[in-house]
This record gives sequence, C-alpha cells and structure tokens, in this order.
Amino acid sequence: MSACTLAFTLQNDFAQFAPRLGTLSLQRLDGTSTPEIQTPGFITASSRGVVPHLSRDHVKMTNAIRLTNIPFESFLERTPPVPTLQPGLKPLHAFLGFPTWQHILSLSLRDPFDGREMPANNKLYVSANCIRGVRKVTPADWRNYAIACKPDLVVALSDVPYTNQLHSQKRTTKGIERSTGWLADFLRPVAASLTGEEEEAKPHHLNVLVNLVGGTDARARTLFSQGLIETLHGREQEQVQPIHTLDEGVSGYIFDFLPLRLSLDTKSMTEPKQAIETDMFAELARASLAPLPQNKVRIAYSTTSPHEILRFVQDVGVDLFDSHWAQRAANIGIALDFRFPAIPDDMPIWNDEHCPCPQLRSNGKWDLGHNLFSEKYAHQHTRLASSFLNGTSPETQTEDSHVCPCGACSPSSLSIYLTHSSADARYLETEVPQRPYTRSYLHHLLHTHEMSSHTLLVMHNLSVMDAFFAGIRQVLKSSPASFLRELDRFAQTYDESTELFDEAEKLWAKIESERGKGRLAREKQSSGQVTTE
Amino acid sequence: MQFEIVAKCPTTKARVSRLKLSHGTTALPTFMPVATQAAIKGLTSQQVEALGINLILNNTYHLNLRPGMKIVKEAGGAHKFQGWNHNLLTDSGGFQLVSLSKFTKITEEGALFSSPFDGELTMLTPEECMSIQHTIGADIIMQLDDVVSSLTTGPRVGEAMWRTIRWLDRCIETHEKSGKTETQNLFAIVQGGLDPDLRDQCLDEMIKRKDRVAGYAIGGLSGGEEKDIFWRVIKQCTDKLPEDRPRYSMGIGFAEDLLVCVALGVDMADCVFPTRTARFGVALTFNGPLNLKSSKYATDFGPIEKGCPCPTCSDGQSRAMLNHIVTLETAAAHAITQHNLVFQARVMGGVRNAIIAGTFPQYLKTFFAQYFGNEGYPEWCVNALRSVGVDLLADRPDVRVVPGQGAKWDRAQQ
Repeated sequence: MSACTLAFTLQNDFAQFAPRLGTLSLQRLDGTSTPEIQTPGFITASSRGVVPHLSRDHVKMTNAIRLTNIPFESFLERTPPVPTLQPGLKPLHAFLGFPTWQHILSLSLRDPFDGREMPANNKLYVSANCIRGVRKVTPADWRNYAIACKPDLVVALSDVPYTNQLHSQKRTTKGIERSTGWLADFLRPVAASLTGEEEEAKPHHLNVLVNLVGGTDARARTLFSQGLIETLHGREQEQVQPIHTLDEGVSGYIFDFLPLRLSLDTKSMTEPKQAIETDMFAELARASLAPLPQNKVRIAYSTTSPHEILRFVQDVGVDLFDSHWAQRAANIGIALDFRFPAIPDDMPIWNDEHCPCPQLRSNGKWDLGHNLFSEKYAHQHTRLASSFLNGTSPETQTEDSHVCPCGACSPSSLSIYLTHSSADARYLETEVPQRPYTRSYLHHLLHTHEMSSHTLLVMHNLSVMDAFFAGIRQVLKSSPASFLRELDRFAQTYDESTELFDEAEKLWAKIESERGKGRLAREKQSSGQVTTE
Repeated sequence: MQFEIVAKCPTTKARVSRLKLSHGTTALPTFMPVATQAAIKGLTSQQVEALGINLILNNTYHLNLRPGMKIVKEAGGAHKFQGWNHNLLTDSGGFQLVSLSKFTKITEEGALFSSPFDGELTMLTPEECMSIQHTIGADIIMQLDDVVSSLTTGPRVGEAMWRTIRWLDRCIETHEKSGKTETQNLFAIVQGGLDPDLRDQCLDEMIKRKDRVAGYAIGGLSGGEEKDIFWRVIKQCTDKLPEDRPRYSMGIGFAEDLLVCVALGVDMADCVFPTRTARFGVALTFNGPLNLKSSKYATDFGPIEKGCPCPTCSDGQSRAMLNHIVTLETAAAHAITQHNLVFQARVMGGVRNAIIAGTFPQYLKTFFAQYFGNEGYPEWCVNALRSVGVDLLADRPDVRVVPGQGAKWDRAQQ
C-alpha cells in the first residue's frame, strides 16, 4: 500500500524563524527515488491536472518543474472521480503523465488559488468547486480518493471558510475543531478491505500535509498547533495508533494566505501595503509554528511577489512557495526578467541598448519583467530577459554567466525525431542550432492570439523562478549573514508595485476582447460608443 | 530546387519524389501543416520538427498585416523570426483577400483591399506580392492569383483565369529580376473554376511557361463544390501537368481527399483541418476520427491510437485525461494537434512506402476498409480511384457506398 516516504533534511543550524536550507526527497518503496528538491524552492501550480499551456514533452524538458500541486476538485465532475479508476502503482502520476522518477506530486482538494466565494462547509463536508457546480466532499471521500490516487504528498482536509465576511470567534473555533478531527480521521490506518491485502489494518503511509488553520487570530492559530502535538489518549489514540500525536503523522505544514487576504480589509491599508501584509502574515505564521517541531517542511501558498517570498524566507523560515504568480504573468504576456541577488547598479545590463532591461518606474525601481503586449517590443529582436543570456550567446562560455535554460531562451532539438517512410531523408542533414525566441516574435504571437506565446512564457517564467530560488540558496549557503542585506538590495532594485501586472492585464483583456464569437458585435458597440460620446 | 522522382505506382498516377530546397529535402507526397501567423497553433518549432515534419506553410496575407514586412525583414525573414530551420511555403494571399477582407476590388493592376485593422486601402499587385514573399523568404512562393469561389459561374470565372495567367507573367518577371530564383521557387496556380474548357486553356498557357516556374498548384477548389466534380478537375490537371514538376493541391486535408489526390498524381497538399479540428477536440485515427469531448471516452484509459508514435500516444496520454481537459486547457489542443499532425504524416509516409513497394492500390483498400469500415465509402472516392485503376469494392462487394461527402464526419464534427 505504501508507495513512498518523504524525507526533509535541514542543512544548517538555524533559529526557529530564520532562513534555512533544506532538501526534500522521496524514497519510493519500489527502490526508485525522485530528484531531490532543494529548499527554499517552489511548487508549480496546475489546473485540471496540467501545468497550464504546457504539453507533456514541455513539462519534461522544463527542469524547473519538479514538484507540482494537483487540485483534485475538477475531477469531482464525475462519480467516481476518474483518476481513482486509473490502474497502476502510481495512478495520479500515470493519469496525468508525470514520470515518477522526475516529479513529486502533491494533491489538495481545493485549488489554493481559487478565492471565489463558496457555500459554507459544515461538520460533515467541505464545499469544493467543479465545472458542474459545487460538490460536497466528506472527510471519508477525501481519504478514499487520496488512497486510490496515491499522490506523493496529500493535504488533509481542513475547514477554511471561503465566505466573504469576517469570521466570528465561534466560527474560528469550529474550524479548528473540525480540521483537527478530520486530520485524525485521515491518519487512521487503512482497513484491509481497501488495500486489497489479506492483512490487518495498517498505517497508510501517505505523506500528509496539514493546513495550519486559525484564521487571522494568532491565539487561535497557536491553539490549533498545540492540538497537533497533544498526546492522544483512549479512543482517540486507538483510532490513529501506532502514532501518539497527530503531528507524528504529519510530514509538513501549509500556510494558505489567500483566505487570509480575503478576510482582511487591505484597502484601508496605507502603502507599502505588501510589506505590512507580509508582517501580519509572518506574525500569524510564527504563531502557528511556535509550538511545533522545526524539522518539518513549511509551505506557503499564494505569495504574490519575489519580494514577499524573500520576506517569508527571512522572517518565518518558509521552505516552499508556489509559482502561481509567475504562471499568471505568463498568461497576461509578461516575460520575467530579474535575478537574486539583484544585479548591481553599475552592471552594463542596465544600459544594454541591444537587449533593453525592464522599465524604470517613477519610484526609481525596475519592473520584474516585460509586458510583451506593449508596442515597444514589436521591434526588439532580442532575447527575452536582459538578466539572462540565451543558449547561443557567445558570452555563455564564462563560468559565472547566467543562462536561461528554458525552451524559449535555449531551445534544443527534442530527443525523438519521427520518420514516416523509407524515402525520408535523414531528418537532420546538418545540425542547425536552434534559434532562441525573441521578444518581437512573442509580441507578435500575443497580438495574434497564438497559444504558443503562453507556452514559451510559462517555460521561461518558471525557469526564472527556478534561478531566483537557486540564487536564494546560494546566498544562504555561501554567506547567510548577507541574506538580509541582499533582500534589502533586491527590494531597492526591483519594483514590488502591481503596475506592470495591471498594465499587462489591461492590454491582455483588450486583445482578448478583439477575438472570438461576438467580436463584431462588441466592435460595433464600442465604435457606437465613440460616436455618441 | 531539385525535384527527383524516386518511384512510380504502376497502377495509379501516384509517385514518390524528393524535393530538395534551401532548407532541406522533403519527401513527397506530403501534407503541409499550416502555420498561418508564423506558428503551428500551440506548438514550438522544435516540437513540429520532432514530429517528422519539415515543410510547413505560412500565410502571406496574415504576415503582411501582422507583424508586417518591416519587422519580418529586421528579423531576417520568416524562418529566423519563428525559429524554423526547415522548408517553408508561403501562399500569395489571393485566397484570403477574397475570404477575409471586408472589401476587395480586383482590377488589372492588382487587388485593392481594406485592412481589417485600420480600414486603410492597400493595393496588392503581383509585383508587390512577390516582393512581400521575397522578404518572408519562403523556399516555395506562390504567384498572386485572381481567386473566385468555386461556386461562381459565368464570365467572371474566365476573366479571373486569364487575369491569373497575366499576373503569373508579372510574377515571373519580378521574381527573375530579384535574383532570388536560386533560393526561392515560384509556383504557378492553375485556375479556371469547374469549367473543363477554361481549365484546359489555363493548363496550356501555364505549361508554356514551364521553364520559368518551379511547380504547379491546382487552385480554385475546396470551396464547397461537389466532390465528384472536384476530383475530375484534379485529374484533368494532373493528366496534363508536366511529370517533372511538383503538383500542389491547395486546401486539401481530409485523409480520403489526400489519398485520392495522391492516386491522381498530386504531390503536396495543405489544410488547416487537422490542427483546427484538434482544437475542437477531434483526434484523427486510422479507424476514423474520435470526438474526445464525448463522455464515452471519460473513463477510457487507452491512448488515442495504439501504436501511434506521436508524443501524445507514446507518452500514454489517455482518452480519459484528454476528455477531462479538452477545450478547457490549451494543453489538450497541443496534445491533439501533435497527434493529428503525426496522423497526417503517417498516412502520407505510408503512401510513400507503399508506392515504393509497389503496393499502393492495396494500401488504399486497406486504409478505406479501416477508416470507413461499415459506415460506407464515399461514392466519389470509389469513382475517382476507379478512374486510375483501383476498385475499392473489388473484394468488398458488401460494403455500403455513400453519396456526397461521406458519412464519417457527422459523428466527429461540431
């Protein structure tokens, strides 16, 4: 039954809430192992079981994608959910096409980035969303789905309200009680009937992650964590034995910031809003972690910028983040272009006429990337990121040069070439170097609604994220004392405001409206407006 | 350009040839996928070449509007712009002028049309058309033709045909003066609608110019005409066109159409069909198309087609998974596009192998039996193949014959 065990090793001495280096690895019982995930690192976001815009060959060649979270709720469209019917030893990997030796998959019921308002949960079920409407998922359902799918990591069900209102203390208490009870239920050994083996019930060995709940109330958060390490007695203990506390059955902790953001009134906050928000969330995260052992992996979902990621590394010691914001950037035409440690002011990159750096904002800071929808990129026949060379740059020979390995900046011939008849000439008569894609080409693809634009941008942005985390680890490894200074320098160099994203989203929406069914009607309407105004 | 015939079918008029162009050698007969806006929808150039495809098509009309020739020139041509290292063909834009532009007026000088973006009036002359295609830099370029819908009747058809010949002369003049005849090869387009006399006159005139054109396209078809008329026009053209020039049938993409055209002597064809239908969730197989949106595939854990070497099937991506994401995630379009392009390439690769082995008639029979099965063979295919000595019904007296387009598509199309 057990498919794998998770090991998380911390590599340095650290204070409870300080930056830390770690390694996440999986040992599968069939003897295979996965590549180790170095932390701080990131989890790729997925939608309907795929990394948006990437075909499977692209996923495999993008080294940045090694750890992916799969929200299960889209599969609730059918009963039973289809992945639970997939044959094989690792059904989820097999169904979604992630090689077990290359990818770690985590499974959560809800999409952590979907903040839509949902009908309330109750003591029997959680409300989940799928294309056919809201589905009620009981803790027993969820456990059965997870056991059938055999993901590498699974997030236990927790009661987090997605309703648009401030939650009473009573609601928070209820949420804590339910989440604790559901976790205990999840950790129950698997009955023999489910494993198909003629043995007694035994621990299921799923690697369980738990959402640290408690909302925006620090005391409530601490209370929930205390519950995890409480030694269980009597029937409660019998239910989960051989473990003695719930925490023993837990492999890592999750902070879900989206519901916190939704329940906070951030509009009234003064600038810098983001930094204040991080401070609040960091305090809440520390309140959750205070009672808990320190050697388990800490995951934060829904950070919104590299700046915020750096602050959570610094202030809390978070190990894993998600790349949702970078993937969203790809959706709206942004090619990321930044590095950590930040590129010093006196570097020629900032004045390269051939490959212009991102825009300088009025606050004296650079954008994190390029809004390739903008007309100014129409004629820039150059690589995507000024901060990274591409696969054919002559400068790539030097040791300390930064090269973006993505399928857009360093495209390489794919390993398999098909031939279809004996008359076909040897496919590649001469090995022609693959030409890196340019800003002007992506600008063109974006304006012509070509899907390839997003494909190339997703590969690129995830690779920039990968380099960002590699940079963080490098600093923590070589001179941990300088991390805070580098964080400040990064914040001084790159703009954290949402201007770039806002502009890109506007242009994306405009181009999007110029296509598809009803386009002519919309055009007529908008031109009608012009004449009447 | 070098064009060399490698093998001929002893029964039909099909042949295998090698077309050596500036960016490599392409084995014919082949199907050319369409990258209208300088991208096969959703795929990268590396993915396309990995499918065993080395000749694709760009649309001149579209590239001229966006990104525009200034940008293509700056980028060093369309090959470099889209990162495509293999052969490329551009159409002339004549067809899109008629099908896409809100306003087009054809004069002897050229086609006057209004830009769909800013409404600005632009004159596309044969000379300008050559100049645009020279900037794009495709290995095969097409003459500007005066296209009328294949359903048009009356004097307009003849007028368009004769004008197409005059425009061909202007294209030839411009092309020869450009000094690009070594790297870019101009194809003429035979017009004349569905009128056998006009087609004949057009063929005569264009064949007179044989030494100054690299190949011939058959245009003015695939516009909704009766299939039984369609194949007769193709046959009339291929019967007359010179052996030693490649023949390109424009806008053909259904497997049965491709096979019939090849049997009639066609070497090349293009169509948006396999890539477009992929985006709607239809996967092509040797057993007929599958509409993956159908719930009957929701728990089908098999690949689209067993034994298919495409990236989608060889990875084991199941019909069930595709059913879950089809039309909702672009990744489904990418996966089915990869599959469908490999399907087209396999059909044509199988054609080449069969012609070389001398078994093409049998290949046709096997294909039709498998692809149409008990749903019936399109009558026009039976007729067309009989005209070149292949009787699909010879050993299958029981099979149904269906008039019109053939029944197979009702199930799959939207």
